Amino acid sequence: MAEAARQTSSDTELLHAVARGDESALAALYDRYNSILLGLLLRILHSRVEAEDVLQEVFLQIWQRAANFDEARGRGFTWMVTLARSRAIDRLRSLQSRQRADDTAMQNAPEAVSDASDDAYHAEQREIVRAALAEIPEEQRRALLLAYFEGLTQSEIAARLGQPLGTVKTRMRSGMTKLRDLLGEKMGRQAGANLNY
Amino acid sequence: MRHEDYKELLALDALDLLEGDGDERRALDAHLAECDDCRAEASALRDSAASLAYAAPPTVAPAPELRARILASVKSQTRADARPLAPPTHGGAITTLTTTPPEVSNVSTSDEFARRREAREVRVSRRLLTFGTLAASLAVAALLVSLLLLWQRNERQQAEIARLSQAVNRTERDLARLSAERELLAAPAAQTATLAGTKMAERARARLTFDERTGRAMLMAADLPPAPAGKAYQLWFIAAGKPPMPGSVFQTDASGHAEMHDIVPPEGRRAAIYAVTLEPAGGVAAPTGEMYLKSSAS
Repeated sequence: MAEAARQTSSDTELLHAVARGDESALAALYDRYNSILLGLLLRILHSRVEAEDVLQEVFLQIWQRAANFDEARGRGFTWMVTLARSRAIDRLRSLQSRQRADDTAMQNAPEAVSDASDDAYHAEQREIVRAALAEIPEEQRRALLLAYFEGLTQSEIAARLGQPLGTVKTRMRSGMTKLRDLLGEKMGRQAGANLNY
Repeated sequence: MRHEDYKELLALDALDLLEGDGDERRALDAHLAECDDCRAEASALRDSAASLAYAAPPTVAPAPELRARILASVKSQTRADARPLAPPTHGGAITTLTTTPPEVSNVSTSDEFARRREAREVRVSRRLLTFGTLAASLAVAALLVSLLLLWQRNERQQAEIARLSQAVNRTERDLARLSAERELLAAPAAQTATLAGTKMAERARARLTFDERTGRAMLMAADLPPAPAGKAYQLWFIAAGKPPMPGSVFQTDASGHAEMHDIVPPEGRRAAIYAVTLEPAGGVAAPTGEMYLKSSAS
């Protein structure tokens, strides 16, 4: 498939093409999602060197595992993000166990830049998520973000929040339910017919 | 477990908080296998959780070399390598419900080893790169620390130079004063007047030496009480039949000693009387205060 045609392919089509060994499809996915995935990895790892390293692993895994993607189970975006987050948290744990002492490599705060680096689609998605999170009660939002970005276990989150485990689980459930209701059909459906990611 | 109880597990599952082989994981997987509603719910919740990636702060794009490196490393893999892999270990339902592609059995073990070795080499080279970057950062940090130390040493040396140069200035001033005094005392036309304390300071005494030719003078006083705040002593040259001519003002040290250099005006050099009064600190044109020292009329 030509590069130009790639621009309008859905994530699902691209992942199927990757599964058939189409390198240009992988390149298109990279161009579409590298900044979002790198932002996620950086948020989890707090080190650009590690985040870029994991980003490379993630795309190699997308290449190797694309055949496992099944659109009946969820969005292609979800599949890739889940893979990226999982790789990042694995890396985070191995870094934490390997070197608590060598903090220097871990201390780079993620450099925040303006949303200008996003294209219109990503900027819109970002705004939808921001608006949804703003509507979720603070204590639920904290629990969700701790779980998602810090790679903590249920009991670690409870300890971090100073709340009983049961309370934390309830907050997770309420927060996730609310997030799903707020995001609803909005996510991944905003880019118009020709860019149905 | 009631159906409702799974709702909480679904939320925890979406956030990847269920342990891989825990009771909760097993219970949920068993339920998902037979409940369409919950399976749909699980999918929706995972989509929502994945959207949280957009809650991470935006960042600058990775270096273009990263894209080239990724594409180069996938190009080097053959098609047979790319397909047959273990399903992802995350996202329980995806894992358990995904069917492994049939080609898996066709893959030779050596292909698998080659792929793993390659992946390991990529990791190793990235590790080296990471190490290199870290080493470079440390080198820069060490350089900065050295610069800081050099700068601090430079600062200390500058301060030491300033201190020494002050001391040299002081010594030069002392030397100039001593040589002026010596010159004054050795001058052929040197005159000396002795001043005695008045009733204001009976123990006070002073000697005024001056060169009649140049007018250069030095007054040395002892046991003169320190002047009160805002006041100073002032020297006067008093010629017969004329108003006193003002000389310089001076202060004593804590022990009552004073040493003052002055130029005696030509008329003053033939003065009959030299006197010291207590005046406002800036000095005055005509005496206003009490007299503390006075020479006997010559």
